Amino acid sequence: MSAAANSAAYWRIAGMSYLKYANACAEIVRGALKEPHLSKARARDAVYFKATKYVKGSPEAAVITEVIPAEIPK
Amino acid sequence: MSRNRAFRLLKDARLRASATSVGGTSSRVGQTVTRSADLASAHPEGVRHVSLQIVQQRMKSVSNIQKITKAMKMVAASRLKPAQDKAIASRGMVTPFYKLLGDLPGAETAKTLMVPISSDKGLCGGINGNVVKVSNVLLETAKDKESEISMDVIGDKARGLMQRQVGELFANVLVDATKQPLTFGTASALAEQVAKDNEGKALIVYNRFVSAISFKPTIATVLSGEEYEKSAENLENKFDSYEVEGPDRGEFLLDLAEFKTGAVMYNALAENNTSELGSRMQSMESSSKNASEMLQKLTLLYNRTRQAAITTELIEIISGASALEDAK
Repeated sequence: MSAAANSAAYWRIAGMSYLKYANACAEIVRGALKEPHLSKARARDAVYFKATKYVKGSPEAAVITEVIPAEIPK
Repeated sequence: MSRNRAFRLLKDARLRASATSVGGTSSRVGQTVTRSADLASAHPEGVRHVSLQIVQQRMKSVSNIQKITKAMKMVAASRLKPAQDKAIASRGMVTPFYKLLGDLPGAETAKTLMVPISSDKGLCGGINGNVVKVSNVLLETAKDKESEISMDVIGDKARGLMQRQVGELFANVLVDATKQPLTFGTASALAEQVAKDNEGKALIVYNRFVSAISFKPTIATVLSGEEYEKSAENLENKFDSYEVEGPDRGEFLLDLAEFKTGAVMYNALAENNTSELGSRMQSMESSSKNASEMLQKLTLLYNRTRQAAITTELIEIISGASALEDAK
């Protein structure tokens, strides 16, 4: 088994989904970039949406998920 | 105001103007007045012409609406090109998945998750209505096959259109994802919810962008990891013809199913967003055209009425003067 496969098992055990893992990796890769590419790529960290769970046709409280890209140190 | 109503108002106004200018009685005027409330107030019993002030106000409001629709069209047009590039680039992400795992919208599963994707804002023509229509047909089909249905609705418009009829099937409603430029992060956060709720197959309904005037309602199918494993065993997909290193097939297909959900969701959101902009551009253009047509008719009405009023006043003065002359 390759190293990637082993680590794959670990993040599953830690309760991450593949997409979460992939996005976490992507964020780190983006963070490793140098300017001028960094600020352009950092904008792609942003996540925003509002989720409402429905139970039997009636909505529960809405949850807002927001990821604001980290500020770039100058 | 709907176009038909506006035109009816105009027709009424013109009818009244012509009725009075040929010396029609006020009773005929009274009949038409009951049909239109707006101009009627400007045209009380016994008054010969439609009020110029009201027509002027209407002209102003129509031209203001036209300004807004024109601006909305420009905004949509300027956003279209980057969105289109994004959508077309994202197609490269999903095609390999279809090649490897196949597209199986007809797969028979015990549970079906419907994911209609719509916009959060309106004034964009019929694209949201189309998605809802297709989703309703799919719901009927799934009901016939006795598959248990739930729904993850994306976008405020589909929620509004579907809540009344099939609200009890809703599991999650995800809105406002279009507030910021689309990122893979947002798409995969939405996809994660979808993948979590997907216990058989997920049917993602969205508008595929064809051109700035054409959008095709499209269904993308994502099966769950277990279903992909079943279809690999039944040789419905080509997974087993590849030699892969890594975890066992079940885990690999679970990863792939999740990643496919993310990729398909990103593609679907990008395509739907592009279609929304294209559709908005188109509908705002026709709104602007309607407004300018209306403005033209109102201007004509305004000028005619003004002219008629002047003529009447002149006749009154002249006949008064000649009556005085006769008296002498």
